[in-house]
This record gives sequence, C-alpha cells and structure tokens, in this order.
Amino acid sequence: MNTKRSNSFLSDKENEIGSKYLEKGYIIGPAHDKSALDWMRKSFIRVSKEELNITQDTLDDKFLDLIHKKLAISELNDFRLSMIRKVNALPDFRQKYYQIAKPYLDVIVGNELSMQLKVNVSIQMPRDDSSLLPVHADTWSGDSPYEVVVWIPLVDCFKTKSMYILPPEETLCLHQNFIEMSGNNSEDLYKEIENKVLWLKINYGDVLLFNQALPHGNRINEEDETRWTMNCRFKGLFTPYKDKKIGEFFEPITLRAASISGLNYKLPLS
Amino acid sequence: MKSLKGYVSSRVFMGERCPQHIQNVVLRDYCKKVDSQYVLSGVEYAMNNSFLMLQQLIYEIPKIDGIVAYSLFQFPEIQDDRLIIYQKILKRKGEIHFAVEGLKITTNSEIDRVEDIWLVRQALPYCYNPETNILVK
Repeated sequence: MNTKRSNSFLSDKENEIGSKYLEKGYIIGPAHDKSALDWMRKSFIRVSKEELNITQDTLDDKFLDLIHKKLAISELNDFRLSMIRKVNALPDFRQKYYQIAKPYLDVIVGNELSMQLKVNVSIQMPRDDSSLLPVHADTWSGDSPYEVVVWIPLVDCFKTKSMYILPPEETLCLHQNFIEMSGNNSEDLYKEIENKVLWLKINYGDVLLFNQALPHGNRINEEDETRWTMNCRFKGLFTPYKDKKIGEFFEPITLRAASISGLNYKLPLS
Repeated sequence: MKSLKGYVSSRVFMGERCPQHIQNVVLRDYCKKVDSQYVLSGVEYAMNNSFLMLQQLIYEIPKIDGIVAYSLFQFPEIQDDRLIIYQKILKRKGEIHFAVEGLKITTNSEIDRVEDIWLVRQALPYCYNPETNILVK
C-alpha cells in the first residue's frame, strides 16, 4: 500500500492528513470544537463529584488527574461504569463528541458516517494493574478494518499515562511473522514489540484518531497522575461491518439527502 | 414503574439467531436498566413472516405500557408493515423498546432513527464487500 498519496480531487490539506494517517497509523490535532470539549470535561468533573459525594468546593484544575486520592482502585470499575452510563445520557453528548473530531473524520473516513452507540471511558490510576488493555488490534477480535477510533483525553497524556501503538511498517512485519512473534500469550507478544511501539503524547485540547487495526494497548501507569480518556469508533456508513453491527453497536449519524432518498425509493407499482 | 412485556423470536431474523433464554436474559437486564417492570415474554411463532404474537402483545396495550423486543430486526422486513406496527402501538399510547440496540419508539419523532438503521442494514448486502468481491447482490 502506497502511504504517500496525492489525489488531485482532494485539497492539499486533505492529502496531507490522509497521507499522515496512512503512514503513521494515527493523527493528532487540535479539537475542532474546543467549547464542546470543555463542556465534556466540566460534565465529567460534575458527575464525578456527585458520584463521590464531594460537596465542598475543590479546584477543578487537577481534579481528574488526582482522582486516585479520592477513590480506591477496588471501587474504580463500578465508578467507571457509572460514569459511562451517566455521561452518555447527557443531552447531545455524542453530537458534541462528533463535533470535536468532525474535520478529521471528514477527511479520513468521509461525511456519511456510522458512530458507536456509546462513548467509552477509560480511567487508569497510577500503579493500577486492574485496568490494563493487553496488546491487541480491534480487528483481531472482530472489528471491521474500516473503523477508526477517535480517542479524546480529558487530561494531558504522556509516557505510561498514555497508550502505545505499533506503527504500520512494524505491524506488517508482525503480521508476516505472527506465529513466531506472538509466543504463548499477549505479554510474550508485547515483549517482542516493546522497543518498536510508539507512546503517544497528547495533551488535553487535542484529539487522536488512530487505526484500530494496528496493535495498541497500555501498561501500568507509572506516572503520578490518573489518565482519563474517552474513545469511540466511527466508520463509513456503507462500508463492510464485522462483529460490531449496525443497530446493536453502530448507528447512522450523518445520512445525507441522496442516501435518504435512495433508501426510501420504491419503483412505481405496476 | 412502567411495565414492558417481552417479545422474543423462535426463528432466525435477518440472518441472526439467539437462544430464547438468552433473549430473555437480555430483556430482563434491559428493563432493569430503564427502571421498568419486565413482564414475561411472548414468543413469536416459528412460521416465516408470522407476527401473530406481536399483534397479540400490541392488543394488550394499555394493560401493559409497552413491548420490549430483543432486537429491532425481529420486526417485519417490509417497511410499510413495520410502520403500521409502530403506528398501532403509538395509537394505543404504548411504546416499543429494542433491547440489543438500546433504542425505543415512544413518539412519532423517534421512528426515523430506527428506520434509518433498518434501511441501511437492508442496503448493506448491495454495497461492495472485498471479502465476497460482490458489488451488487
């Protein structure tokens, strides 16, 4: 696959973003709708405080980064599930999520999209080994290779407070030697690729779009701050689905007039 | 608390099959999540294109507040037939929920969202799939 593509039907900017995505497997850029992102972050802080019964005024600045001082690791999963349920129930939450990444999605995926029904939330406290995602590619467990993950941090993410990804060239090498490299378990596989993975540095205010067909994951967060990130999958509406189907996992979000017209078309009765 | 009566299938729908007891587990869990009372399910007849049980459940509204179906794809594949069913339910001041998809129709304005999913799903076999190399079915 040629990753350096120049399509004269696309603008220079579109060609640049597309080539970067193909070449690196991801792009990071500023949130398109910063006010939507700020609203989301404030919502997370408000809902967290309600959940933890924190009534006194505390500074919001580092609240999420330091949540581990107020919440035990043993309570983390229930807390996270409750957060996912509550933030997804907020009006226009998914619409705002889409707006944050819209110009990148337009270029990388297209303008007629399917979006995951629920936005996921990941909270990874320092030294917590219960919230790890071993090395995997989503396609290995039944996702369509047409999907793109939009990953939005609510805090600054760096080193082990972030996620890693195996670049496309290294992934190709892994695919060609998968049996020898994968060993007996995912930890064996990680050891094989440990010095080839790229740890992504991404600050609050930026958005990451990555190719979930590339191996990725996280490790124990060895930093002193908690990671808070959201992730959600998007794909071209009329591209092939795999195990995550339209209706039960994805839904159309930007059906255009011609498609609505076509989908509803019926030949005249003879 | 609203009462929702379950609707499960005994036949394949849109190429999918799920054992009835698993459908009931999903329905029970869904009702818990939406804070509704789960009323034991009606099982649709196995004959193709039969929706007699669904019609029976609609008839039970307003004794029950609505129906919770395992999936929206259990409904008729013909759009006009589906629209008639939605309207019957709404006319009786009932609601229809779809557990797997987490969607519901409680007003006319919620029909489009469900129908968009139906129509795209039905169009997908006609879209290009590199695995089958089929462009048009």
